Amino acid sequence: MGEAASFVNAGTLPHPPAPSRKGRGSAWVSVLLVGALFDFLAATPAFAMHISEGILPFSWALVWYLVLVPFLALGARRLNALAREDLSLKPLVGLLTAVVFIISCMPIPVPTAGTCSHPCGTGVSAILVGPLVSVVVAAVSLLIQALFLAHGGLSTLGANTLSMGVIGSFSAWFTFRALRRMGGSLGVAGFFAGIVADWATYSATSLFLALGIRGDAPLWPLFTKVVVAFLPTQLPLGILEGVITAGMVTLLYRKRPDLLVRMRVISEKEGSVNA
Amino acid sequence: MHHHLSTHSFRASHALVKIDARVKLLSALALLVMVITSQGSAFPLVVAAAGIFFCLHLGTPVRLLALRFSEPIFIAVVVLLLKTFFSGNAPLFSFGLLGYELVAHRDGLDAGLLIAGRILGGVTLLGVVGFSTPFTELMAALSWMRVPQVLVDVALFAWRYLFLLLEDAQVVYHAQKNRLGYVGCRRALASFGTLAGVMVIKAFDNSQSITTAMVQRGYDGVMPMSMHRPLRVAEVGSALLFVGAMAVIRLI
Repeated sequence: MGEAASFVNAGTLPHPPAPSRKGRGSAWVSVLLVGALFDFLAATPAFAMHISEGILPFSWALVWYLVLVPFLALGARRLNALAREDLSLKPLVGLLTAVVFIISCMPIPVPTAGTCSHPCGTGVSAILVGPLVSVVVAAVSLLIQALFLAHGGLSTLGANTLSMGVIGSFSAWFTFRALRRMGGSLGVAGFFAGIVADWATYSATSLFLALGIRGDAPLWPLFTKVVVAFLPTQLPLGILEGVITAGMVTLLYRKRPDLLVRMRVISEKEGSVNA
Repeated sequence: MHHHLSTHSFRASHALVKIDARVKLLSALALLVMVITSQGSAFPLVVAAAGIFFCLHLGTPVRLLALRFSEPIFIAVVVLLLKTFFSGNAPLFSFGLLGYELVAHRDGLDAGLLIAGRILGGVTLLGVVGFSTPFTELMAALSWMRVPQVLVDVALFAWRYLFLLLEDAQVVYHAQKNRLGYVGCRRALASFGTLAGVMVIKAFDNSQSITTAMVQRGYDGVMPMSMHRPLRVAEVGSALLFVGAMAVIRLI
């Protein structure tokens, strides 16, 4: 992961002007102090974007699996139906899964939560293959990450897939479709779909975490703390995800509108205008 | 990246590698349930220690192991510290830091150790399975466990072409970087959006050529899975014994 992480991080962050040693030191102190302050205020355990293995109690892990099953079953059924019409669809979904896997492996440090965060990538897949198939994409991507990268886990796969695959995909898809119907351009619709997918995923993850770890404590204050801990990175990260989604959709429209027509993202008429 | 994601065993002759993937997966799942439902921190920590021992015994390089487990270890440590210092009621010790008095609590430490142990126990268990089992065998085992075939198919495609896409992405990224594509925030964001778009275009194009090549070789929409050899009584028996022994340790 190291190489991917380095090229991705270098890609997302512009080169800042080199600060003086003193300036750099004081900046680090500020970051540490703010981080410590947030940690102190939040006073909740810190978790990565994917809920780590072993964090959720068995009962909650089981609940999220059970909630996920119907979505996953519908997604598998939809994909099977589409694959019967077009043999290239399964390989395509597999490759899109690899793309989502790569996008969701880009770690971005969260000093206030003491962990890393990253884009979801499900906004992209939901726009291209629809929200149900996107659930399958997220499930497989998270399974590979759990087995071979120790990101997330098998016991938390249900919760992680539910937040990233179901809530992230459906919120992105509805946002994209709604904005397109209201006359929004592909770029604008893609931008907001990416943002909504990211923020909805993190909200759901925070809720699942709060439900799982609260014990006898009241839910909403704890949920607020978890959200606040992720806020400093999730706000810009959501915007970044929006930019990535918009950039991707507009690039496809400019270079390969036939692909968007094939995936029914735009009509044939729209595609032929640009062709 | 390739090394970090590598699933091939570093010691192919190791006894764990020779055990059927189904047996390993089921044993790991049983142990995972034990770890997650454990009410004390000792058992998950024993599992974590055993997991790391097996990973090393499999010949996994320490650097790779450290890379793989760095994130969960970091999370476990942070959880432990936060629980110790910011939850609980029974004071254990205290010290001053930057004008604040930090008080560690015994019950907080216990709760932190339990969660940290569960995290470490869980990820090391999956680590052992991942390091000792090829991806295709794991997928075949999942297929045998009645995981929907379409999920297994998609996973196989994703795994096969993941490395190809990564290499393509790196080529595009370096080309962009060499042309100052990442100088300035706006240019960097635009370049990154383009990079994501290029990856999707490559995914589309590759899927077409892959399908054409596969159809020529008889692909009819279903991926052939590797055949399982019959389960050996010895490996099932030893797995049952091992899981049973761990269950006894958990009870103690």
